[in-house]
Amino acid sequence: MITTIENIGKAFLSKILPLRGTLQFATRVFLNIFDRRTYNSASRMVFIHQFYFTSVQILPLFLFVAVIFGSLINGMAFQVVKNLGLSDYLGRLLMGFVVTELSPFVTVLLIALRSSSAINAEIAVMKVSRELNTLESFRIDLIHYLFIPRILNGMLSMVLLTSLFALVVLSIGLLVSSLVFGTSVDAYIDTLLHSADVLDIVILLIKCAAFGFFITLIPIRLGLNASQELTSIPVAVLNGMVKVFLAIVTIEALSSILRFI
Amino acid sequence: MEGFLADHKSHLGLVSLEVPLISNLPVWSNIALIRQYHENMPWEEAKTLALDLLRRFGVAATAEKRNPSLTAEERFCIMLIRAAMVRDAVVVLDRPFRIFPDLPDGRFFMDSLRKVDDLIAEAHFFDYNWEKERYGATDDAEN
Repeated sequence: MITTIENIGKAFLSKILPLRGTLQFATRVFLNIFDRRTYNSASRMVFIHQFYFTSVQILPLFLFVAVIFGSLINGMAFQVVKNLGLSDYLGRLLMGFVVTELSPFVTVLLIALRSSSAINAEIAVMKVSRELNTLESFRIDLIHYLFIPRILNGMLSMVLLTSLFALVVLSIGLLVSSLVFGTSVDAYIDTLLHSADVLDIVILLIKCAAFGFFITLIPIRLGLNASQELTSIPVAVLNGMVKVFLAIVTIEALSSILRFI
Repeated sequence: MEGFLADHKSHLGLVSLEVPLISNLPVWSNIALIRQYHENMPWEEAKTLALDLLRRFGVAATAEKRNPSLTAEERFCIMLIRAAMVRDAVVVLDRPFRIFPDLPDGRFFMDSLRKVDDLIAEAHFFDYNWEKERYGATDDAEN
């Protein structure tokens, strides 16, 4: 019996200790965001490059996915609303589900699949090829130069791309709405504005920023766990992506709890 | 050597295979990075400075290349220029024949150091004892 309890305790600790390490790392990085030394010419250049890779290069794929999802979701939603005679709830459905739930979720999945994996591999490769030693040798702080530009970019990209996704889906909603219900532009916008809840929007922005923070911080932290061997790179990326997925689910659950309590 | 490096950490410009060029940055950015980070030098100015120094070594054509596509000679020159970008640099050449192994002697290193003489405060070589002949050093004090 005691052995069983000990084993449960060991298993629990083996899961909790890395989490504690990640949270300590997150705190260190978060505090450094407010350090003036972070914002030098080199870090700004990294930020611009990262923003280009994350938010600009992805645009064709992102818009394509937004149009496909927008058409499907709007098609289904309008059909259900029409059949059940719930047209009064259309605005609430679009703002409460499409904008605050679907948009950040699809956006975070796309950014995680594309950028988080790239960041994870990049940091692991830099560790293996001793390039992190180079930066330390020249007294370049890894948090200031490498990590914070990537994390800030993750947060900003999440907020902007989520907004873009919501805009595309709502625009398609306008098109479908005018075709199905014959709704005018003014009436459609009026419905959406009346359904918008300021608290929901605040929670949405915080959720997007939290997604952006953790889907870049976790790959960085797991990338740093790579050893000096090339074979440790795929292991670091695999572990990183699994933890990114867990972080997405956790943040999604926490934001839902916040919204509905 | 570790003690020496620790003593001069604030002005250290290390040229060594242990501190490789950053492979996802072009050559000019590897060099400019030092001034951009430590002195907040605008990137255009830092790039101009890096290109001027690359021209001094006759390797300006490598400015947009990345580490894996460089020759050993180019890689050494760029590592030296990067080390010289540290303000009042104490340049340490750690086993330079490992970076550029085909050289018969160390004259190339001395010539290269002269090209950045105006930028560095001191230069030190650290190498294996059996390499001293390649530097022209002997045990005989009179020579």
